[in-house]
Amino acid sequence: MEHFEKHERFENDEELSDRELDSILPEWKSPIAPQHLRAALFPEAPASSWRRLWSISIRVPFPVACCLAIVLALVVWRWGTPPPPRVVIQHDRVEVPVVKQEVVTRTVYRDRIVHAPPAASKSSASELQPVVELRPRIIRRQNDQN
Amino acid sequence: MTPQKAFDEYHQAVYSFAYRLTGQPEVAEDITQECFLALVRDPKRYDPARGTIKVYLFSIVRNLALKQYRDHRDVQPVEDSEDALVIDPRGTLDVSAAVATAVTSLPPLQQEALILFEYQGVTLEEIAQIVGADIGTVKSRLHRARQRLRRILVAYRKVGNPHGAL
Repeated sequence: MEHFEKHERFENDEELSDRELDSILPEWKSPIAPQHLRAALFPEAPASSWRRLWSISIRVPFPVACCLAIVLALVVWRWGTPPPPRVVIQHDRVEVPVVKQEVVTRTVYRDRIVHAPPAASKSSASELQPVVELRPRIIRRQNDQN
Repeated sequence: MTPQKAFDEYHQAVYSFAYRLTGQPEVAEDITQECFLALVRDPKRYDPARGTIKVYLFSIVRNLALKQYRDHRDVQPVEDSEDALVIDPRGTLDVSAAVATAVTSLPPLQQEALILFEYQGVTLEEIAQIVGADIGTVKSRLHRARQRLRRILVAYRKVGNPHGAL
């Protein structure tokens, strides 16, 4: 303000001095800039899809909401109680030592009942013919010596 | 500097400058918005070699305010005129309102020079850049503006009254 201090005048009734003017000028205050200017110039980026998903809401009638709550409570209660013990049948293969026994084979004879052929009476008389050549056979006992 | 950073740093100064030039908060708001909108739309228009971002923003505000002034106040001359003392602020008891009325009654070129120098803390060189004049012209406008205010506001001389009321 050197430029003005050089021309500083004495107080008179016609005008203020530079010093008086300097003291009076700051009385005029400027209002604060409105806050919404920034939002108008630099709008916020649109919310992400996840954020939009979280902000979705649906209207549910009160009775339906009550039913859902009851069902939910039942499910929670059901899951909360411990389940009954389960019987598990497990199959295991166990090797058991086997002692081999001697196999003895024995022949057993038993009496058999032989049925006799049907009676000759049923044969016809034509089968009864005289032999053509007679061949005698001598049967001897084992311990018999000539 | 990004437009967001420029806004955070200078929006209050820009708004104050626009408010003091126009005297209307709504118009100041519109000018501030348009000023930063220009920066957002085309940030490459700001050339750091030609001055600081503050000078650039104040230049935009000045042009917008002058346009608004020409659109709405084509009666009062834009250039300096000694006879252009049309507003008498003595009707108000509020010093702040009286100073505002006195400053806004100045011819626009004197007004902008005074506001930039006294209220915005801009140097004479920066004012010369903003208004597109040489420093000598700026000094001359400042001198005439102060001279005029000294006369307009003489009724508000502080005589034992901290508020300067009549």
